[in-house]
Amino acid sequence: MTKIPVHLDINGQHHELQLEPRVTLLDALRERLGLTGTKKGCDHGQCGACTVHIDGERVLACLTLAAQAEGRAITTIEGLARAGELHPVQAAFLEQDAFQCGYCTPGQIMSAVACIREGHAGSDEEIREYMAGNLCRCGAYPHIVAAVRQAAQEFAS
Amino acid sequence: MTVHNIRVGESKRGDASDGALTEAVGGRLSRVDGPAKITGAAKYAVEQQLEGLAYAVLVESTIASGKVRAIDTAIAEASPGVLQVLTPDTIISLRTASDWFGTPPPDKPYCPLARDITFSGQHVAAVVADTFEQAVAAAALVKVSYDETPAIVDLSDGKAGDGIPIDAMTKEWGDAPAAFAAAPVRICAAYNTPREYQAPMEPHGLIAHWQGDHLTVWEPSQWLDGMARTYAEWFEVPFENVRLVSPYIGGGFGSKALALSHSAVAASAAKMLGRPVKLVMTRPQTFTGYGGRAATRQTVTIGADRDGMIQSIVHRGVNETSIDGMWVEPLGSVTSIMYATPNFSSKQNVVRVNSVVPGAMRAPGENPSAFGIESAIDELAYEVGIDPLEIRLRNYAEQDPHTRKAWSTRQLREAFAAGAEHFGWSRRSPKPRSMRDGNQLIGWGVAAGTYPVRRAYGEAVVRILADGSVEVESSSIDMGQGTYTILAQTAAETVGVPADDVVVKLGDSRFARAGVSGGSRLAGVMTGAVHKAATSALDQLVGLAISDPRSPFHALQANTLVVAKGRIASPRGDGPDVSIAELLKSVGRDRIEATGDTMPANSTAEDRYKNYTTIAMALPHTEGDYSRYSWCAHFIEVRVDEDFGTVRVSRVVSALDSGRLYNPKLAESQWKGGIIMGIGQALLEEGIMDRRYGRIVNNNLADYLVPTNADIPDIEVISVGIPDLHSSALGGKGVGELGIVGVAPAIANAVFHATGKRVRDLPITLEKLI
Repeated sequence: MTKIPVHLDINGQHHELQLEPRVTLLDALRERLGLTGTKKGCDHGQCGACTVHIDGERVLACLTLAAQAEGRAITTIEGLARAGELHPVQAAFLEQDAFQCGYCTPGQIMSAVACIREGHAGSDEEIREYMAGNLCRCGAYPHIVAAVRQAAQEFAS
Repeated sequence: MTVHNIRVGESKRGDASDGALTEAVGGRLSRVDGPAKITGAAKYAVEQQLEGLAYAVLVESTIASGKVRAIDTAIAEASPGVLQVLTPDTIISLRTASDWFGTPPPDKPYCPLARDITFSGQHVAAVVADTFEQAVAAAALVKVSYDETPAIVDLSDGKAGDGIPIDAMTKEWGDAPAAFAAAPVRICAAYNTPREYQAPMEPHGLIAHWQGDHLTVWEPSQWLDGMARTYAEWFEVPFENVRLVSPYIGGGFGSKALALSHSAVAASAAKMLGRPVKLVMTRPQTFTGYGGRAATRQTVTIGADRDGMIQSIVHRGVNETSIDGMWVEPLGSVTSIMYATPNFSSKQNVVRVNSVVPGAMRAPGENPSAFGIESAIDELAYEVGIDPLEIRLRNYAEQDPHTRKAWSTRQLREAFAAGAEHFGWSRRSPKPRSMRDGNQLIGWGVAAGTYPVRRAYGEAVVRILADGSVEVESSSIDMGQGTYTILAQTAAETVGVPADDVVVKLGDSRFARAGVSGGSRLAGVMTGAVHKAATSALDQLVGLAISDPRSPFHALQANTLVVAKGRIASPRGDGPDVSIAELLKSVGRDRIEATGDTMPANSTAEDRYKNYTTIAMALPHTEGDYSRYSWCAHFIEVRVDEDFGTVRVSRVVSALDSGRLYNPKLAESQWKGGIIMGIGQALLEEGIMDRRYGRIVNNNLADYLVPTNADIPDIEVISVGIPDLHSSALGGKGVGELGIVGVAPAIANAVFHATGKRVRDLPITLEKLI
């Protein structure tokens, strides 16, 4: 398959790649760019482990072709902390022990950041509903809710 | 090569105000591997970036029974980027490896690609290409033709038969059938659990890399040394030539303890190609590439008097296994110990069906066993008109009813009391369908759970380094249970340094050997080994300080010294007070190293190899004078929509006895995780068979339903354990498996209380209620 040039803007850095058009954003991140913080759990948009932000909105990188993200601002888990300071959602996940194996965690955190930004973290019920697209088999859900609640309150104050 | 290496100091402290208490064993220190996990820095096994990596993709059988007639690889081989297509005819021949007991294997070849098909989804070929996309595309072009034969699709298949009696599972005392026949109250019911799947978020996979006759495998693993042994035997290379690396594991739940056929395919491909090969299962492949929990059938009969006192339990169980493999899911494990009964009989068969051989999934045996007995005693409670909690207390087993040994510790009565109080059980209206909120029927259910304390010998290396920091090394692993953290706490407390100054290195088979991380044994084994090694390192340090002529303490003529917060001083405080780093410098040492193991003193090298690479030397939980188990009681509220039959779990209070907790913050997370998996088991999870093809059709995360955040309410867990030194060196019992045991029956019992309908067939889906 003919490769095409793809320009990706990831965490404020510009990357130029030659990719087959069928390459997903997820595989471009993990297999071409070494950005393995974004996880592959199902490759079919069923688990949420690959959640990244494109132009500030949460998107499943496994259901997005890399070429579709051309020229748009991509943020992955590696780009969330600023100048060595954890993002408040990251800090809340650590404090609340909102993960165990850690494999769904980057996707949960990226979803949580967007969930708060969308205004969908107003109550525990709302957090549960708007975080329901990110599976966690270790069962950290109650602690994820606590972490999102804590971070949302920090943003609000 | 990436070696996992975490500084405790990078992590944020827990929520206890006193830092020292937080860091000690038993403190609520936050996960020390947490910072790496929340920033994306944690590199899981298959995320290693290697030069020249090739990608393998599996091709699987589309029939459940028969033979491969032919595999046409021509089009796939001509596909862009394809390096090789492996079939049973072209893959290199391996030797059969021993099983996990270390049983010497038959001297015959092993081929991980099948010619004889015994289940749908069996690996028959693999395509290796330069890129993942090329391998995926070419794998779809491999044409396999079959000679198909009729399959036994599951336990209910007419061809399945009664199966094979497993005599080792038989437990009998008294005369259970006669006592049952004579009992004034008799209940008898059948309980079924379906095929369930571990479904860890990280799919199975590996990168295999040969350098000469040395093999390095990056693979998520619950047991590096056991898997290294399997690779060594397959490829007939010395054990020392195989290195397993598994710094983080994205969930296992029992499924990542063994090297499997896909592992052999990838390692063979790498050897044949002379390049590192990466193979990761697709999510659908994870449903057939290894076994989930076997489907089970149980009949539980209880004979009791009118006060609800049990006179007899007769239990018969069946689990499915594969056509050519053996898996026994011990269904009488909880039945035989939960309640005092003078007469008991439990027997079990296994039935061969065309399935991948089932495997270990969180609390294998105890989990389905508890669904049977904990549902049945609830049925008895209603039959005799006694509160379901009260009937459990009346039949409380004061000793192990099977072995007649004393419990090492059994805080189950305390668990019932604490759980009932926090839940508000006394406000329960006993009659079914008597509690409601609008169109929602409310039900309150209780059930108990238990899991044996599995023990083993362990080993660890502890070093005190020139800068005063402490390093712990072990080839054990952390798949989320908190091994990094509790071992840092153990070493910090034992040596007398801040936890910030401890580095824990795990997940590399080059480190001190370790047995399997399964059966909730690792924490007890490894805290004991690290405590022993750290004590030995501390003794060396103090010995040097006292006796070395260059030591500032030499003139003091002290018998001993104290080490605290990284500083050494005399107990009376009358001498020098120096840091560990200063002391080591003064005596001209750059490190102190101690290997500690808990093996018997006369153990041979062969014993050690066997201990760490098989499970044959595990210590029975009923060894000696005591019977050792963890215990729990779950109190659960459900809300059932009266019109639609939908069940929601709205409240959970569980009280658990895992002995002493090494880190309550992390133990609570594991307990809750088990409870949540139990909610999935009760209400959602079920492998659904397409009976025409003997194929699991919901082999993905959209159709095999695991709980989502929206399914889970707040969960309260209460620790009622006390230190149990018969169970482990530092007093802990098992944590990881316990939480799930008893959840499904507690929910089924709550559903009965809500609706008056007894569902004995998991999961409890709406069509069973309307």
